Amino acid sequence: MSELQSIEKMISIKIDGVEYQAKEGEYILNAARANNIFIPAICYLTRCSPTLACRICLVEADGKQVYSCNSKVKEGMEITIDTPNILQERRAIMEVYDVNHPLQCGVCDKSGACELQNYTLELKVDSQSYAIPDTTREVKNWSSVLHYDPGLCIVCERCATVCKDIVGDAAIDTAKRGGAELDKNYKETMPKDAYAMWNKLQKSVIAPTNGTEFTNCSDCGECIAVCPVGALTSRDFVYKSNAWELKRIPAVSAHSSDGFQIYYEVKHTSIADREEKIYRVTNEWNYVSLDGAARFAYDFENRGVSKNKTAFDATIEAFQKAKTIRFNSVITNEEALMLQTLKEKKGIKLYNLEVRAFQKFLRYYQNASGRSLYTTDNDEIMKQSDFVIAVGVSLRNDAPGMKYAFNNVQKLNKGAGLYFHTIEDTLVSGFGKSVESFVHKVGLEEAVFYLILDLFADKTKLPQALKSYIDSFKTSQTKIIQEKVDKTIKEMVKDEKTGEEKEVTKKVKETIEKQITVERNGLLELLGGDSEKFAESFKKMVNKKEHFSMMVGEDLYYHPKAENIAKLIALIEATTSIDVVMNPPKANALGVALICDLDDEASGYTIGYNELGDFRLSALGDGDLDMPAMNQQEGTFTTLSKRVVPTNAALSYDGYELGDIVKVLIDAPSQTIEWTAMLPEEKGYRAVEFDSLPNEYFNDGSENRGYLLDETSMEVALPEVSQIDMSSVLEGEIVYRCNPARQFSDFTDKSHEIFEPFGLYASEAKVATLGEKVEVVFGEKSIVLDVIVDHKMKGEIMKLSDFKYAQNVYELFAESRYKNVTIKKV
Amino acid sequence: MSLEQFKNRQTGTQNYILLDLEHAPKTSMEQFKRVIKRGVSLELFVGLGVTFKAMVKALFAKEMHTTKYPFEKLPISPRYRAIHDMLRLLESGNYRCIGCGLCEKICISNCISMDTRYDENQRKEVSEYTINFGRCIFCGYCAEVCPELAIVHGGRYETASEQRASYSLFEDMLTPIDKLSLQQEYDGFGAISPNADENIKKTPLAY
Amino acid sequence: METTTMIGQLPEVTYAGVIIKAIIILAVISAVAGFGTYVERKVLAFMQRRLGPMHVGPFGLLQIAADGIKLFTKEDIVPQHANRFIFMVAPVITAATAFIALAGVPVFPDFVIPQEVPLLGGIFVPSIASDVNVGILIVIGMMAAGLYGPLLAGMAQANKWGIIGAARTAIQFLSYEVVTGLSILAPIMIVGSLSFVEFNNYQGEHEVWLVFYQPVAFVLFLIAGFAETNRTPFDLLEHEAEIISGYATEYSGMRWGMFFIGEYANMITISVIASMVFLGGYNDLWIFPAALMIVLKIAFFFFLMLWVRASWPHIRPDQLMWLCWKVLMPIGVINMLITGIAVMLVLE
Repeated sequence: MSELQSIEKMISIKIDGVEYQAKEGEYILNAARANNIFIPAICYLTRCSPTLACRICLVEADGKQVYSCNSKVKEGMEITIDTPNILQERRAIMEVYDVNHPLQCGVCDKSGACELQNYTLELKVDSQSYAIPDTTREVKNWSSVLHYDPGLCIVCERCATVCKDIVGDAAIDTAKRGGAELDKNYKETMPKDAYAMWNKLQKSVIAPTNGTEFTNCSDCGECIAVCPVGALTSRDFVYKSNAWELKRIPAVSAHSSDGFQIYYEVKHTSIADREEKIYRVTNEWNYVSLDGAARFAYDFENRGVSKNKTAFDATIEAFQKAKTIRFNSVITNEEALMLQTLKEKKGIKLYNLEVRAFQKFLRYYQNASGRSLYTTDNDEIMKQSDFVIAVGVSLRNDAPGMKYAFNNVQKLNKGAGLYFHTIEDTLVSGFGKSVESFVHKVGLEEAVFYLILDLFADKTKLPQALKSYIDSFKTSQTKIIQEKVDKTIKEMVKDEKTGEEKEVTKKVKETIEKQITVERNGLLELLGGDSEKFAESFKKMVNKKEHFSMMVGEDLYYHPKAENIAKLIALIEATTSIDVVMNPPKANALGVALICDLDDEASGYTIGYNELGDFRLSALGDGDLDMPAMNQQEGTFTTLSKRVVPTNAALSYDGYELGDIVKVLIDAPSQTIEWTAMLPEEKGYRAVEFDSLPNEYFNDGSENRGYLLDETSMEVALPEVSQIDMSSVLEGEIVYRCNPARQFSDFTDKSHEIFEPFGLYASEAKVATLGEKVEVVFGEKSIVLDVIVDHKMKGEIMKLSDFKYAQNVYELFAESRYKNVTIKKV
Repeated sequence: MSLEQFKNRQTGTQNYILLDLEHAPKTSMEQFKRVIKRGVSLELFVGLGVTFKAMVKALFAKEMHTTKYPFEKLPISPRYRAIHDMLRLLESGNYRCIGCGLCEKICISNCISMDTRYDENQRKEVSEYTINFGRCIFCGYCAEVCPELAIVHGGRYETASEQRASYSLFEDMLTPIDKLSLQQEYDGFGAISPNADENIKKTPLAY
Repeated sequence: METTTMIGQLPEVTYAGVIIKAIIILAVISAVAGFGTYVERKVLAFMQRRLGPMHVGPFGLLQIAADGIKLFTKEDIVPQHANRFIFMVAPVITAATAFIALAGVPVFPDFVIPQEVPLLGGIFVPSIASDVNVGILIVIGMMAAGLYGPLLAGMAQANKWGIIGAARTAIQFLSYEVVTGLSILAPIMIVGSLSFVEFNNYQGEHEVWLVFYQPVAFVLFLIAGFAETNRTPFDLLEHEAEIISGYATEYSGMRWGMFFIGEYANMITISVIASMVFLGGYNDLWIFPAALMIVLKIAFFFFLMLWVRASWPHIRPDQLMWLCWKVLMPIGVINMLITGIAVMLVLE
């Protein structure tokens, strides 16, 4: 990031006569915000395209009135924020927003944290000059979590914008309201922009885009977060509490590996029950967008736990005889370090099926590339990348952060994208016109990387053998095509009056037959693409593109040829300008992968930490000893963005923690957070005390949370890669280990606002053949599952959830993510 | 020059009456004289006369001052701040309280607590409301801040009860529905000023 | 003497008659003393424009019963370091002396129990339980002996307020005994007898109240009477503002009640003496019968005590002594001398 800033050219602008520095190409509004200058704006969202719905951000730049949200700064630009005319416009706009806005601020869930209220006061609106008959607008519940009160809505379109530009669902947009026509006199008497805004406002309301009453979206709730008024709320939160009563606790989302910054908002449960509970999760929506799990899976705490000495003694005994500890990625860095220390001092094996494959893959990559970590992250992709490639990651299910970045690049950076996956996803291919989706066979991921090498690599850097291997897929073919050609015909025309002859040129369309040579790319066709069409669209896609990036995910870690794939990725990084980001599977997988030395096998007496085992520690309240859940613990996470971020305890916990156990077993610090400074420096961690870790975003959107891992890199030779192994291709009935979008673990499942069930998800067509319930047979083992439709997927492959530890799905799949199965109807 | 005006230190508008007190006797002669004077002028009987007159007036001229308190109560000032009352809307009988939580927020002794919920009519409903009268200092801020004139101070100043829970719940403070017609508009703390109508700016209305 | 002739005219006074009379006095005076407390509270209340007791019975009339029940049922407490025996005996002395004093006072007119009453029929009940010819001496003597009640009570209870109360009892009662004696000596000199009956008869025969012959003596007697009965403005023995409750500080329940009964019995005694000696006794007046007159007179004095209490402040102990020795006693002596000279001149 610091590198990034130095590259960007800084220019100087003047705002109200004072000189400031701004990044070139930035919008005036953002430049002002970065310099801590306030320009009123309601509809604009950082990281989204300007909507021009509110028109309140009007400023005067070099003598002309412009909208600061969509005009870019220029060197030496002189900006005046308030001129009499602009103030008049703004006031008129605010008056218009207040027309017919229900006076129910007393009960509104915004409870004063309302932008309409703030701007009305800011612009000193103390009287109303406009009026129009109101229309009845019914309160609607769009989904299991979304509650929309159109009466309160000011149609700023922020919800629709964020849904389209960041989330990618584009599930809601403006729709017709059927309001009364404006009085014609207003056109003359009102300020121009205010009239235009009102004209639009009076006609519109927000509604689901699919034409029904219900949104069919990922229920991320980002629209709720950005709503400036109380129109959009979580159904669960409606009229539950005033904002001012809630204590905000900065934390990290404990579900996806993105490590989104969130605030748990807590208050006592009720008058009778003074124990605090979490009422909702909020975020800095200008700088970070949450997925549904981060926003709605918050009440997974382990309640009513006290110190059970007997259970604790039994735990110590269990640890004394334990040979293996089985755990998952829902664990802080500190806990991971505790377990690693136990392994070092007591020789206990660490068994983690969620992370092991990723850890191996990361090591292969480190060996092949010489780098300690992958080269980019989602935020950087969102900021600058204009071409993204996603391989082996189910964007919608595995990686909400990647999905947002992939989508945002299309919408905001005028970017293009390639999406390689085994399952067709209708949502991803709809992210933009320049998104090309490839649905390939399971096991062909190696071919994807060879194709990327072919498309992007600087061929001169590639070893000769590799180059010829890639070329071996290419064939030339002659083809006769019909082409329309413009032909210029010269004609002598005689002017009848003068008798003069004149030469006139005419353009005539003519169809000619032409023989051309078509390059066919075998790799492309292997992956299910059409080389002819692709060649052309690809040309458009890469046109004027500068920053390329690639997202890779969990499919590759479980690939039988994972090592070769890691080498291919390293090779791509070395020979192309593509930066790579990897999606650590779930929660703190990267932290566990870096800190712990995991084992392949579990043996002997096993202690399960939120997992199966002979003796179970559990934050779910079902184990032999209770543990604090992630919202009851403080500690750090290592996020996908290679950042070590602090999280705080939102709720109290009175039982034993892992630290208490470790303290008895080995010499250890008394507080969990004292481990923070002991995190391994050779892995990039720093010896920083927990309490000194920052947790905030700056006004210009830069992240000041924790610290970035120190990365090392060394020069290594280009890795030797092997050829595509066709033997790993799977055919037949295949299940894919993949969770529904808002489910990651038992903790998300425990939360009451998460409704996605455990089961077998399949496309509509496939479900029709399956029925309601099936038995999925994996060789010797089998599992009976409900069949659930996923409307946004196509094809034959089915997705099997893994978020319930008790179902032990990871062991069913063993070391792969795709499995051939037999389906039996039940 | 006379400094009388400066010596008069009775500033302000109080109408003090200076008593012309006689000097205490200094010699035995003076003392004897006073005894004679008081004895002969029968001052003591003036005292007897006063009390007797008071008795006669009390018995026959209705000047008895006693209020038989628990059975008889004196009217209190409308600005008196006693146990809170929760008022209802006069027409519909619904509670005025909308659950905005301002009283809870402003309460300086932190004794008000409420739970709200989304009810079947899509409105905010106060599901629980309680004032801890052990803590309440009857400052009147809650009544003053209430935008709906819902919580007001009532006239119940007898704050003794067998248990603390008595009258601290919403239902106990609420005007009973059958006594709605007897509900008094409160003109103490937080009430609308008499010239409130004049202070409102007119807004164009299109319906 | 003359008295013997009078007794000769009446039926014989038997032991049974005297006992019945004693019982009647005890019962009636106790009841009247109790009722007196009610009257006192009511009168004081009215003078302060209050209602007084209202809730027990109609107009609070049964308040005395409630108080009586309360006093009787209270725990009998004797303080730890008190002289137990004397502490317990002291209230009895007060009550007993007050009632013994009443033995020499005519309380009701004589009557004979009707023959129809079984057992007691025909018994003559005298107006005075013991019509000795030195009645006044007995009454005044017994009242003086009543000093021992508060004195012993105050000294026995091991309480500093009690001690101060006891000391005040001693000085107040002893001092005012002198004034009482001196003031009543003058009427005695006129009538020439110590018998109340003689006083009554004298005023009846002469159709004059002695108060007109002896106004100074009457005033002195009244003032001394207030002091003797421990009433405002001379209630220094149990001056609440200064010494809590004086000699009665440690008393409660019925023992305290006995002090109270004693005080009220004494008030009645003083009222009776004043009525008998100065206001014409039980003689008819115009159309009013004797019985009504004596009751009215006693009631007036009783009321006067309450009235004074409502109107006047306390005085200080030093003022009390000053009043007694420097004002009242000299006047009493002078009054006696003048009366003596006058009687001598008139009889000559």
